[in-house]
Amino acid sequence: MPLTFRDKVMPDGCLVMGILNRTPDSFYDRGATFGLDAALARAGQLVADGAQIIDIGGVKAGPGDNVDADEEIRRVVPLVEAVRDRHPAVAISVDTFRASVAHAACEAGADLINDAWQAPEPAVAEVAARHGVGLVCTHAGGHRPRTRPHRVEYDDVAADVLTVLSSLADTAQSAGVRRESILIDPGHDFGKNSRHSLAVTAALPRLVETGWPVLVALSRKSFLGEVIDAPADDRLEATLAATAVSAWLGARVFRAHDVAATVRALKVVEAIAGRRDLAVGRRGLA
Amino acid sequence: MLAAAAFVPVPPLLVPEIAGGSAAADEPMRAACGAAVRRLSAATLDELIVVGAGACTGEVTGSWDWRGFGVASPAEPPADRLPHALAIGAWLLQRHGGPNDATRFQAISEDLPAADCADLGRALAGGERRVGLLVCGDGSACRTEKAPGYFDPDAPAWDEAALAALRRGEPTGLLALDGELGARLLAAGRAPWQVLAGAAGDDAFDATVDWADAPYGVMYVVGTWMRKKGTR
Repeated sequence: MPLTFRDKVMPDGCLVMGILNRTPDSFYDRGATFGLDAALARAGQLVADGAQIIDIGGVKAGPGDNVDADEEIRRVVPLVEAVRDRHPAVAISVDTFRASVAHAACEAGADLINDAWQAPEPAVAEVAARHGVGLVCTHAGGHRPRTRPHRVEYDDVAADVLTVLSSLADTAQSAGVRRESILIDPGHDFGKNSRHSLAVTAALPRLVETGWPVLVALSRKSFLGEVIDAPADDRLEATLAATAVSAWLGARVFRAHDVAATVRALKVVEAIAGRRDLAVGRRGLA
Repeated sequence: MLAAAAFVPVPPLLVPEIAGGSAAADEPMRAACGAAVRRLSAATLDELIVVGAGACTGEVTGSWDWRGFGVASPAEPPADRLPHALAIGAWLLQRHGGPNDATRFQAISEDLPAADCADLGRALAGGERRVGLLVCGDGSACRTEKAPGYFDPDAPAWDEAALAALRRGEPTGLLALDGELGARLLAAGRAPWQVLAGAAGDDAFDATVDWADAPYGVMYVVGTWMRKKGTR
């Protein structure tokens, strides 16, 4: 059954979720798209670059200035409405752990809720069910939202991710979210040190085996930076390498800052896997 | 009686295999920990007790194992894994302690109140045996925006109070540390330091801080309290 978010039936193959932050302080874009006009311009660029999903966030993932639910709604909802109006075909995701924000975003036209903090508000699944939208279930180690990992230990991080995500996805389905609308995300960097994130990347086949489609959010993250000792601005190649490996291991959706580059990398993986034909077939063939 | 104590921080990155390619950057802290543990181990002791935070208060057994952090070391995992702070202590003792250090491991619940910590310290060091303590813990994890616990404006003063008491060998200063605030600041050293304070009692010690800094937003302190000569 194809992935479906509300009325949006997603095409087969790898999908790219472009990141659109309506925040003044996110780690990579640092407020570049905080203003509504800048955010809308970015949305247009993401669509033009090939994103099938746009993930709108109003709260920085890491610790920072307090953003309450009302402020989060003020940031997110007008942008959802405007993107919905200008790009009717794209699936709109909202990155939130709050049920009240999820509800307001769905009312405004969102198709998917990206709950990145391991469901601290279980009512988010009920909101997704009520609106018939999709839900991303994410492993974050069970820590409070917007906290950094501090000396976190796992006996077997891949096993923990598998157990938690299977449970969250089953719970979401029991709450009424359609099976074809649920994604699982191992939550790279969330509640994990860099070795933990590398280990869950290597273990992606175990997640894929569950049958739930797997979303990975790798883009310019710290665990990649720690492999090559590079700041966020210099992590594109590392991101694309991890993206290609994850696609090869069966991940389906890729949350990305650099959509055009990610789309190109994924095309090559799909072509190697025999799932995509050449765009041009002339070499040695003339 | 408390004959000597060493206090060391417990960041996982203290272990070179965990720190990976950036291990050399923390060599000064690592060397200071080694020097402090060697001073402790060189004291005349009947018993050496490692104290540090654990899930609950009580004596525990086991060894260090870094698999929880994603590093397959040691090659053979121990049957029982010590709580992290005590594992760091065990690892430091293996590198820098004496071969005959008779060692026990005392876990302390992170939320054990100051008075209970002091009672525990008095009990551990009670009697005529010469007891050494390896006190494993650190200050706040909230010194900068990049710190594990993000910046907390109350962190510097809390750390300064702890550092001053450790530097002066002053148990009352350690016992006065606010436990609730310490928990908010993710200070893993509050309870173990207050156990040290209880063990020290009213006796006099030569206090040394070898090294203190917060390079990653967590306050690390390394040093020793050695019983003053002529006081048994």
